[in-house]
Amino acid sequence: MPSAVPMINNERITKFTNCRLVKGDELVEQDLWVSSATGKIVRSQEAFYGAHATPDATINLGGRIISPGLIDVQLNGAFGFNFSSIPEEPSSYGKTLRQVNKSIIQTGVTSYLPTLTSQPQEVYHNALPYLGPSGGLRIASDGAESLGAHCEGPFLSPTKNGIHPVEVITPALNGFSDLEAMYGATNINPTLDPLSGTLQAPKIKKITAAPEIGAMMRTIPDITARGIVYSIGHTEASYEDASLAVASGATMITHLFNAMRPLHHRNPGVFGVLGIAESLPRPYFGIIADGIHLHPTSIKIAFNAHPEGFILVTDAMHLVGLPDGVYEWGNGERILKRGSQLLLEGTEKIAGSSITLIECVSNFLNFSGASVPQALKAVTATPAAMLGLSGVKGSLESDADADLVVLEEEVDAKGKRSLRVDQVWKFGSKVFDRSQ
Amino acid sequence: MRLIIRDDPTQASSYIAKYVIDRIQAFNPTKEHPFVLGLPTGSSPVGIYKILVQKYKAGEISFENVVTFNMDEYIGIPREHPESYHTFMYKHFFSHVNVHPSNIHILNGNAPDLEAECVQYEAAIKKAGGIDLFLGGIGPDGHIAFNEPGSSLASRTRVKTLAYDTIIANSRFFDNDLDKVPKMALTVGVQTVLEAREVVIIITGAHKSLALKKCIEDGVNHMWTLSSLQLHPHPMIVVDEDATLELQVKTVKYFKSIEAVASSQGFEQILPSKIRTGPRTTALNSTYSPSKPATTTPAKEEPSILSPQPLTSTLLARRRRSIRFVAIRRSWCRIVWGVGLLRFRV
Repeated sequence: MPSAVPMINNERITKFTNCRLVKGDELVEQDLWVSSATGKIVRSQEAFYGAHATPDATINLGGRIISPGLIDVQLNGAFGFNFSSIPEEPSSYGKTLRQVNKSIIQTGVTSYLPTLTSQPQEVYHNALPYLGPSGGLRIASDGAESLGAHCEGPFLSPTKNGIHPVEVITPALNGFSDLEAMYGATNINPTLDPLSGTLQAPKIKKITAAPEIGAMMRTIPDITARGIVYSIGHTEASYEDASLAVASGATMITHLFNAMRPLHHRNPGVFGVLGIAESLPRPYFGIIADGIHLHPTSIKIAFNAHPEGFILVTDAMHLVGLPDGVYEWGNGERILKRGSQLLLEGTEKIAGSSITLIECVSNFLNFSGASVPQALKAVTATPAAMLGLSGVKGSLESDADADLVVLEEEVDAKGKRSLRVDQVWKFGSKVFDRSQ
Repeated sequence: MRLIIRDDPTQASSYIAKYVIDRIQAFNPTKEHPFVLGLPTGSSPVGIYKILVQKYKAGEISFENVVTFNMDEYIGIPREHPESYHTFMYKHFFSHVNVHPSNIHILNGNAPDLEAECVQYEAAIKKAGGIDLFLGGIGPDGHIAFNEPGSSLASRTRVKTLAYDTIIANSRFFDNDLDKVPKMALTVGVQTVLEAREVVIIITGAHKSLALKKCIEDGVNHMWTLSSLQLHPHPMIVVDEDATLELQVKTVKYFKSIEAVASSQGFEQILPSKIRTGPRTTALNSTYSPSKPATTTPAKEEPSILSPQPLTSTLLARRRRSIRFVAIRRSWCRIVWGVGLLRFRV
């Protein structure tokens, strides 16, 4: 069992050599310098010539791959902790979350959007204060960093609820004020930091909602004006509805194909906005590549339709990261976890996903024949761009945050490709090493 | 003049890389007595750098005690510009090997006083003890560094305006936009190159064959600045077969036979010698003090076949005598001066 203890790293500048960097759609053989003092990727040439800087430590990776740290924009929980369930002692929520963050990072996910499914109002009010952006202090040992919460619901179409309980799904009839009431005004609006006096981003980074329900369509600009991504999902939207939503500012589609009308040749539905017909910007879209939610060919079609918008997400439940076995599911039911598959005990009914993001990447490699950098882009540069964090997260360019994963590419006897997480670095310090 | 002909550019590059490594190892550089290496940029040397990096990574060579001087740099583009020679050197060589950044010298094309920058650069070369081996390439017009046709063969490090042809040729690296191409550069002079104790030039490709012909079969001429190499006591040009296309068959056969005979005798046209540019003897170090002139002449400065010294500095630039030459025996100086005066009266 790999060590879970974050390693203390005294070196300021670390140089990785003999490695292949994920840059765009290519693997580039190039050294990489990171600083644990700034937590960023160093402009090595400038430091070399200007400050005559040489690395404090050099790590030879023997040809392995360095990818930017993975970003999961739809993660419902992990290691037994469900972000949407408020414990009897609400103050323990934050403590458990901090522990879970240290575990999540070992899977290669260095930042993510903790995702709340449709819940009663009090859950949002209790949970969201803990789920806002958490990387402000840039502490590597804090583990995976929240980039803000993702609220998937409750303003969804009751007929496309998936596993969300219908009784909490509700329309936002009065527009933005309904959202403020549901999520809490301090969670959905920028707040003033009492210490520094600066404006802080809202706790919420992304909202999934059905555009055709209630007054949601005209509320989209109010959401995006606050720096929150509006994502189309759990919806009966027609192609026209979806196009209007994109025109209003929607830049994302939540788990494309799932919980929406299927592609029909006379009404292409939400999928249709990946076409370029209306000369609108094409939105990003999430894809669950667990091999269960979608047929591999559907994934390939979506990728080919708009590779620049293709984002792999896990949509994993809190059982991800736990060993196989039988777990309580509340209301008397029990779940059988077998690998990344979750089944209702005694049935063959799928009860959600418990796949890790790197497994999704490996699946996608095998489904599509895409190159390793193309597949990794879907969990690094593309989600970062969707969140407006290009060049900060999901990037190995100079000045980006030094969140990295070192990956080994493996091919088994049947020719199945997979990527193995060997090391994880956060803000320029090593926080996980498989070999230790 | 040594002309080494190899079948293709890769073999020419690996010959030079091996030669440079052998020279550094024979020199056995130390912190106090580093090997001083002159370096070029451009497409021809890329292959050489690649092999040097491989050899470094394989542990066959260390650049720990190597001091480098680059030939040239553009004026007015940022140091981190993708086309700057700083970037080229970082990308192809310095970021992969253990040359310490404080041992690296590249002209600063953004210096507030460019003249002063050039003067300082020459001074830095002298302070480092002169260049032991200057590696170079040439352009199709026979230019060495940015010393384009018509450059003075006595030139030193200076600001140089680029020829219109060069600007057009370079525009492919600057979005094909002539306005973005630097119009000026800082470059070492022909004289600076000739003062190196050894000069090694790589020339590959049919498009450079005329330049090779002009430089080695015709006379010394400022329109083909590399032809000045004929005045250097210890130059070597390494070429591929394509670069020999304009040469006379006789020339090619002559140089090939010279190499064959020399290697059959077990050496490479110059007797291997530690004295040539190797470290000073300990005896010399102990007798030397700044207040008292050295009583013994450093063996490496003996102008002999064992220790060739560039005479061209005295032949061409009458007023300039480097600090390193002060120690040359007086009688020898007198002869050289005489020859120099004669030459300029003719």
